[in-house]
Amino acid sequence: MNLDRILDVLNKAHTGPVYQERDFNLGVVTSVISSKIEKHGLKGVVDTENPIGSDDDLADRIYQAGFEAAVEIGLLCSDTSRAIRFTAEELQAAIDEAPSEFWLGDGDQRVHFQHRDLDDPTPPVWTVPLSIAVSEDVFVPLVQGLASSKVTDCLEGPSLETIYGYPLRSGSPYEHLAGRYQADLMYEAVRRSGRVGMPMDAIGSSTTHYGLLGGYGMEGGYRPKHDLVTILSIADFWTSYESLFKLTQTYVTGGEHISASTWVMLGGYAGGPEGTAVASVAYTLLMIAVFQGSRGGVPPFDLSYMGNCGRRAQWTLSVANQAITRNTRLVYHSVANQVAGPGTKMLLYETLVSSITMAVTGVANVVGVRSAGGRLTDYLTPLEHQFGGEVFKAAAGMSREEGNAIVTRFFSEYETELMTPPDGQRFQELYDIENLEPIPEWNRLYEEVRKEAIEAGVPLD
Amino acid sequence: MGESSDYANLQEAILTGDATTATEIGDEIVANAESVLKPIDVAAAVIREVGNRFGAGELYLPEMVLAAEAMQAFMDVVTPQLKAEAGDSTLINRGTVVIGTVQGDIHSIGKNIVATMLSAAGYNVVDLGVNVVPMEAIKAAEANGASFIGLSALMTTSMPYQKEVISLLEALNQRDDFWVIVGGGPVTRDYAQDIGANGWAPDAAVAVQICDRITSLPSTPSANDLIYTGEQS
Repeated sequence: MNLDRILDVLNKAHTGPVYQERDFNLGVVTSVISSKIEKHGLKGVVDTENPIGSDDDLADRIYQAGFEAAVEIGLLCSDTSRAIRFTAEELQAAIDEAPSEFWLGDGDQRVHFQHRDLDDPTPPVWTVPLSIAVSEDVFVPLVQGLASSKVTDCLEGPSLETIYGYPLRSGSPYEHLAGRYQADLMYEAVRRSGRVGMPMDAIGSSTTHYGLLGGYGMEGGYRPKHDLVTILSIADFWTSYESLFKLTQTYVTGGEHISASTWVMLGGYAGGPEGTAVASVAYTLLMIAVFQGSRGGVPPFDLSYMGNCGRRAQWTLSVANQAITRNTRLVYHSVANQVAGPGTKMLLYETLVSSITMAVTGVANVVGVRSAGGRLTDYLTPLEHQFGGEVFKAAAGMSREEGNAIVTRFFSEYETELMTPPDGQRFQELYDIENLEPIPEWNRLYEEVRKEAIEAGVPLD
Repeated sequence: MGESSDYANLQEAILTGDATTATEIGDEIVANAESVLKPIDVAAAVIREVGNRFGAGELYLPEMVLAAEAMQAFMDVVTPQLKAEAGDSTLINRGTVVIGTVQGDIHSIGKNIVATMLSAAGYNVVDLGVNVVPMEAIKAAEANGASFIGLSALMTTSMPYQKEVISLLEALNQRDDFWVIVGGGPVTRDYAQDIGANGWAPDAAVAVQICDRITSLPSTPSANDLIYTGEQS
């Protein structure tokens, strides 16, 4: 970690231009994105019939628009009401300084993160699960089940709903305790699964910096040399002291790797798919620059159904991925946002589509699956994660054209249900927790969709 | 300019978020029309349509915010005339909503959308921002004479603070003073009911429906086991 860059970011956060919330959101974000769409001829380029396009020139124009937007927008620090802005030269230097490969974990569980190109057979990295809330009593067996899968490379979540039986409250001392407590539970789970040394993202149960302060870089906690600190942001082009504390905590504990990632809202201040794609690129570059991210990425999140597996979100995701992949050497990271719950075919179809899109557009690392949209406690199982990892890795090396042909076949299986997705069932209902095996009905659905994927051309066997 | 033409222009001004034109049309209506009730109905219908189209993904957040601001500009002009026509009715003041994202949570977009929609629907909205400490929400509701407290939580770890607001109201013997409406991505109807909320709003349109429904009730707020959702509206 570069201290001079940290100090520069902190200084910008305290001396940059001042904005009120509305003026920044509408007067800067919306205005700048609109002007870049106009300047780079991006009106009317959206093609939801072909969500994975193969137009390199379009990807390059999206990138250029995003780079310029990043320079003009910056990230607004909510605690100081000041924008952290870089010159074009500073931004380019930060992008050039980011690694194109790095290793995490130790022993036989080391994992190689590396930049991937379009249509690239280089194996991507599969991290599971997202920080979905889980009951304390099933946390360890669930993580054990997730870590036991051969396709799993790293762990991030889930998130504890309670700690020692008490509700986990954001920003409270409970969250501070949860940092170390989650590390203990994660290590127990990887020990049981025989995957000691597997890298982890810190810290699933704590969105604020308190969890990191309580569980990273200390004896028995998450390991600065082997694990990754996850820094998310809060809203389009905003950041906060919480995130900046995570940056400084990583530095003072000798940490080396940060995941600088968050969401951009499709239908939000950046507008429709083309604007959101530009914003996705801009926000990614800014997150990398502000937080010295070893990996980074800002996928879209469609406000109309709170997910990103629909056609227009997949188009946005695809073109933004291609823009970053073609124009940088970043270790690009992404996330699918499914909305259906476990125990349903819809979740598997959403996972199939999004995994292919990300694999063929250069994504190096995915964290997933967002089972049931992450809305419901205990609504995630190892099986959909197994499926997502299988498809993500098998699709690496397919061309964008091949990927597009496959995903367009499967939208019709679920797109009418995006607004009213099925919740599915809880882990406790879909798994024999003693043996960590899915119940026959859930396994049957998995086998059926897997067979459909193979028949469509995904080389899963 | 004829009446129907005025209304078409008014619809257009709100739909396109043109606050200046909405103000001018409002001035003209106040100067020339016998009643402002009809144009207010027209404007309200447009803003409902804007909300519905936003919910369906057909309009985006900037358009909705600007439309709400145009609506507000129009209402600022016609409200004195409305008071003269309708007196102190809910047409003029639909009540005050104190709204915020709860402690430990700094997500703002969802809360902002709800605040915008409520404001456009005629509610006086006091936006406390994000990371709102439970007692701060209660004090603000008291200070502003609010009928509603709206609490957004986007994380399972911030949801306990929604419950904390209700617990504090009960401990202070103030539970009957406010309707508490909760929402946010991980907040389910069952959770809202479990913590004793009066309303569960899975999206901004439903938040407005709930407030409208409660506002139309003849009785004052009461801490009972009723929970209002869009399904009943």
